[in-house]
Amino acid sequence: MPFGRRNVFLALLAFGAIVPAFANGYQLFVCNLVAIYIILAIGLNLLVGYAGQLAFANAAMFGIGAYVIGLLQVHLGWPFWAAFPIGGLVAAAVGTLLALPALRMSGLYLALSTLAFAQATQWVFLHWETVTFGAGGFKTPQLSFAPLPIGKPAGLYYLSLILVVLLYLFARRLVRSRIGRAFVAVRDSEVAAESLGIDLLRYKALAFGLSGFYAGIAGGLYSALLNFVAPEGYDLFQMIIQKSTIVVGGMGSIAGSVVGASLIILILELLREVKGYQEIAFGALLVGFVLFMRGGLIVVVRRYLSGWEEPLRLTPKAEAPGLPRPDPQPSVAEK
Amino acid sequence: MLLFSYLLMSGITTGALYALVALGIVIVNKATGVINFAQGEFFMFSGYVGWMLHVQYGLNYPLSFVLATLIGFVLGMLTDRIAFRPIAKNDIVSLVLATVGIGFILKGLARVIWGGRSDYLSFPPITSPDPIMVGPLMVVPQQLAVIAGTAVIMLVFAAFFRLTRAGKMMQATADNARAALLVGIRTDQIYTLAFGTGAAIASAAAILTAPVTLIYPDIGFAFFLKGFAAAVLGGLSSLPGAVLGGLIVGIAESLAGGYIHSSVMELSPFLVIMVVLVVRPTGLLASRRARTV
Amino acid sequence: MTIRFSGVPTLLAAALAASAATAQTPGVTADTIKIGSFGALTGPGYLYGKLPMNGVEVVFDEVNKAGGINGRKLVLMREDDRCDPTAAIGAVKKLVEQDQVFAIIGGGCSNATFAAKDTLEASKVPTLIFASVHDGITTPPAANIFSTATTSSIESQAQVAYAIDQGAKKIAIVSMRDSWGRARYTPLLEAFKAKGITPVADEEMSPDANDATAQVLRLKAAGADAVLLLLYPKPAAVFIRDAQKLGFKPLFLGQTGIADPAAFEEQVGVPGATANFRTISQVRYTPEDPKMDKWRKLVEAKFPGDRLSVYNLFGIGSAEVLVEALKRAGKDITREKLIAAFDDMKDFKTEVYAAPITCSKTDHRCNKGPAWMAKDPGGPIKVLGFTAVGQ
Repeated sequence: MPFGRRNVFLALLAFGAIVPAFANGYQLFVCNLVAIYIILAIGLNLLVGYAGQLAFANAAMFGIGAYVIGLLQVHLGWPFWAAFPIGGLVAAAVGTLLALPALRMSGLYLALSTLAFAQATQWVFLHWETVTFGAGGFKTPQLSFAPLPIGKPAGLYYLSLILVVLLYLFARRLVRSRIGRAFVAVRDSEVAAESLGIDLLRYKALAFGLSGFYAGIAGGLYSALLNFVAPEGYDLFQMIIQKSTIVVGGMGSIAGSVVGASLIILILELLREVKGYQEIAFGALLVGFVLFMRGGLIVVVRRYLSGWEEPLRLTPKAEAPGLPRPDPQPSVAEK
Repeated sequence: MLLFSYLLMSGITTGALYALVALGIVIVNKATGVINFAQGEFFMFSGYVGWMLHVQYGLNYPLSFVLATLIGFVLGMLTDRIAFRPIAKNDIVSLVLATVGIGFILKGLARVIWGGRSDYLSFPPITSPDPIMVGPLMVVPQQLAVIAGTAVIMLVFAAFFRLTRAGKMMQATADNARAALLVGIRTDQIYTLAFGTGAAIASAAAILTAPVTLIYPDIGFAFFLKGFAAAVLGGLSSLPGAVLGGLIVGIAESLAGGYIHSSVMELSPFLVIMVVLVVRPTGLLASRRARTV
Repeated sequence: MTIRFSGVPTLLAAALAASAATAQTPGVTADTIKIGSFGALTGPGYLYGKLPMNGVEVVFDEVNKAGGINGRKLVLMREDDRCDPTAAIGAVKKLVEQDQVFAIIGGGCSNATFAAKDTLEASKVPTLIFASVHDGITTPPAANIFSTATTSSIESQAQVAYAIDQGAKKIAIVSMRDSWGRARYTPLLEAFKAKGITPVADEEMSPDANDATAQVLRLKAAGADAVLLLLYPKPAAVFIRDAQKLGFKPLFLGQTGIADPAAFEEQVGVPGATANFRTISQVRYTPEDPKMDKWRKLVEAKFPGDRLSVYNLFGIGSAEVLVEALKRAGKDITREKLIAAFDDMKDFKTEVYAAPITCSKTDHRCNKGPAWMAKDPGGPIKVLGFTAVGQ
């Protein structure tokens, strides 16, 4: 499988590792953005693609992560490395709380209540000025990688890359475990899943919490990349971009999240070329992708290349243990 | 008491607008199961078209109204053909994203065509601008025109659904698409009709309120959000629910702004919705339907 | 169109080309000077990005028609930031590191420009801000960043001073909660404190609002006799219209966001409602003024379908300043010489700004003299005077 997923991703990783050597500041900035959005896309895909929860709150989690990490640094003087995991955990906690309404609602109703939650979060960012600095946002301290001999842009980029690899591997392992299968069962039919003994609350909370954690971590990286946190970056347009990454890449596929996030961010940057027609071009691309690539890019890839399957189990299908191998029976005709 | 009356009045006026947007969303959703995220952009785009017809080309108001509504209908039909029909069996996130894409295209087009005219388009009022007294309240006739117009549009559509064949066919398709097919209803035509009607309502609303809303390319999404909230509040499958939802959202906004502080106005509709959905997860007036498993 | 990222050969080639270009002054060739611009081309902030850039291009066309600056023609490269901080940083990085522009004129939405300030400062590219009003962009001053936009603290101080001047005793505020509004609100409260007074009411409106009944009633109940409007033209128009309807007629004070009293009167649409409306403008003339005919013809010819607006004028005035500084920097132009030309600019009169432009090494806010304007309903626009605010 020369172009199988493992080889392609390893090649991309190798390429990604040497990018700081020859890329200019702009290109490195974009590559770092790609890494951040890959993390976001994987988390969102776990929630929407695997667990089937139509949630629109991921951008708010992204923002909560960024704000918590930034504010811990600015208000309490914590160093980035201490604040960073806390931001992820806080976003995860908030996400888990969203599982409660998810128990009572589904589909479009859940979409609206998570949307409402996202709007409420924006409102808090804007109005709780004593804490969040309101609409003007705030600057975060420059990240330093001392004592490593590496500057901030390259250092942050490598940190993002390492996190992408870790979170990707974690997600892949997760979906191939019982938890992943439980997610898919919940997605495909809640009633059937319950009848199999799957605790809906537990797994929905896990899905929401995980996607919250991924978004929170991505938010921390984002705030470090910009050195600035303001409400604008976490609004509904942000949510649309995130949804686009998983739809274009492929819902229910971790590899698809990687592909979709990279593509969408690169497209957004390439669209700079069409200046004022960006909105029209982006809209047309969205419609085009949805129309012509049902199931996302990953489906197209799987059609032409081998090695991109993502089974929900760890080991290949083995024969059921304990049963004797059946002797090859002579066919009836030969008797 | 006077304060309350004024706030109520302004809440009803804005609520009527939200109700119209919600109606459009519910009509499409009832027939197709999709939320048209471009509904706000239909509203905005038709508003611009109406302005172009009435102000730039000088056609009289009623003619502009009719033409703009027709163009809106066509826009809806195109959306159905491009962004719904080919992918009707996809998952809901893809469907939503397709309508979002259409919304972006319309918004970008509007900005390119009319955006250079700066941040407003003056639309001459269709009634005299002098306030009149209704009881103890001073009301601007434009407000009454909006409320009256909304009521008329709602009645027209209620009649359409209840009395015409096409309306009944739409209801049948919404209830059970497969059964409708079996009795010979061309469901794909119904889908087109639904999208067209939903867009036409948005257009009518836009022309009606153009003197009030001061159109610019980005007003679409704010209206959509409130309209969607109102539609869900009322129960996505209920037309009277959409109207009720719209009025509740408008009034809640207004009262919150008047009695608490204007800073909570943007938040109050969403708080109301979160509360209602926890208590009645399918909305206020939704019929109790069996859950398909 | 090749993707510049994929393919090591392309990247290596680009890197080599980039290093070759920096051997001489970046963005300058024998017959062109590349000027970059960033701001919102799409999204609601496009009024403060695309339209001023249109104005800048029109000025560049005129200059190029006359032979350019010291024989070099000006080329404008636009980048969209969608009013988003990330996109602004990306736009600036692209202009500086990929497109290698010589200087930058731009800056629309405040938060976006403020987010990009560090990147701009580190790049040392001479930058002229044409629309962003956030104080943090120019204070503390960066060596290479100048602004011809009246900053929000200047305008807010002017508003309070004018209100007190006109005898108002109970001043109220209506503001938008976004970054543009907040950039004006905070210095406004400080200006109040400096004068030892507090606002009698403090309400907010969303930029999309279609109704201001609640806000008007609360302000009326507080007995305000002057209202400072920290709003875009649309919500301000809605506010004044509802105020008229509810019989609330205080003094209304706008700011440079509502810089065209004639257009505003049309927007409000209620005769007589704007009788008590005064506003500040960075630019001395409104688009309808016959003195702006030349620019109107140029803008409407180059961008069919547009009509001349104050936002175009922001770009036109700023571009005039940039052109003058480029001229003064001489034939052997370098970035340091351009920065020095800005630093030394004193009392430069443009065709559109209200006050002459003066920068200094310690203060890069070059436009400190907004003009107060009023318009009698149905009558001509009157310039009431200039408020020069020192700090």
